[in-house]
Amino acid sequence: MEISGADFIRGLALLGAGLAMGLGAIGPGVGEGFAAGKACEAIGRRPEEAGLLTRTMLVGQAVSESTGIYSLVVALLLMFVVK
Amino acid sequence: MLGAGFSVGFAAIGAAIGEGYAAGRANEVLSYRPRLAGEILKTMLVGQAVAETAGIFGLVIAMLLLFGPSSGKPLLTAWAYLGAGLSMGLSAIGCGVGSGLPAGGACMGIGRQPAVAGPITTLMLIGAGVSQSTAIYGFLIALLLLFKQLPEAMTFPGLCGLLGAGLAMGFGAIGPGIGEGIAAENAVYQIARNPENTALMTRTMLVGQAVAESTGIYSLVVALLLIFLK
Repeated sequence: MEISGADFIRGLALLGAGLAMGLGAIGPGVGEGFAAGKACEAIGRRPEEAGLLTRTMLVGQAVSESTGIYSLVVALLLMFVVK
Repeated sequence: MLGAGFSVGFAAIGAAIGEGYAAGRANEVLSYRPRLAGEILKTMLVGQAVAETAGIFGLVIAMLLLFGPSSGKPLLTAWAYLGAGLSMGLSAIGCGVGSGLPAGGACMGIGRQPAVAGPITTLMLIGAGVSQSTAIYGFLIALLLLFKQLPEAMTFPGLCGLLGAGLAMGFGAIGPGIGEGIAAENAVYQIARNPENTALMTRTMLVGQAVAESTGIYSLVVALLLIFLK
């Protein structure tokens, strides 16, 4: 198999896209789950604060989601922009 | 062959950790509530069975990889098989751990409040089912990689794309699987503290899990793009 320079770059960019999205999804997944778990725990203690706790949980999750979205953007850039 | 090894090996890690966690929690509870042994043992086994399913997915893919017809296929197939093994194996880690956590929480909860064992088991199964979802994405990607018609020509970008799809879905499923399991574990345990909050807790758990699922869905999208992109 002959590999030209352009093919090599394109191939590694695709591999990099897979790694970027795959590894980038670990952290937000665990972190958001942790936030949800703690929110459940807190609502279990103080059910009357459910609205406030849900809001806080969603804000916290949105922030920890951001790195997942960066990974998605980088993966899409590697797939569609790097030639 | 390598793909089959990865598939069943990684899947076994996750299933074993998850089941071990459930068993540990069950023992912890039994030490102070020995009279509930039957109920707790039942819940532990049900929870472990759910955690095991990810391992079984891994085994199925490994069997397909080992005994599927491999002669006369283009060379690119080898890389697709490797990607399939990675996708299934890595994604099963998260779901094995994630499904084991609610089982542990359920054992703790039943030890605390044996009267609400029914709702606890129900919520445990819902939570474990949701954290199972990313393993199902991994299974889907593995099957796509196994049975997709590949072009004859072996190109470097082609093989990297197939491998990348497996890596994206495999690693991407670890985080959501574990995170959703943590959410379900706490929700299940809190139902035991306050059974009248079951509906509220189920809602909060599902909202939290839906958000945690999002990165798993990004991974699925990226993996599908990598497979079908020209």
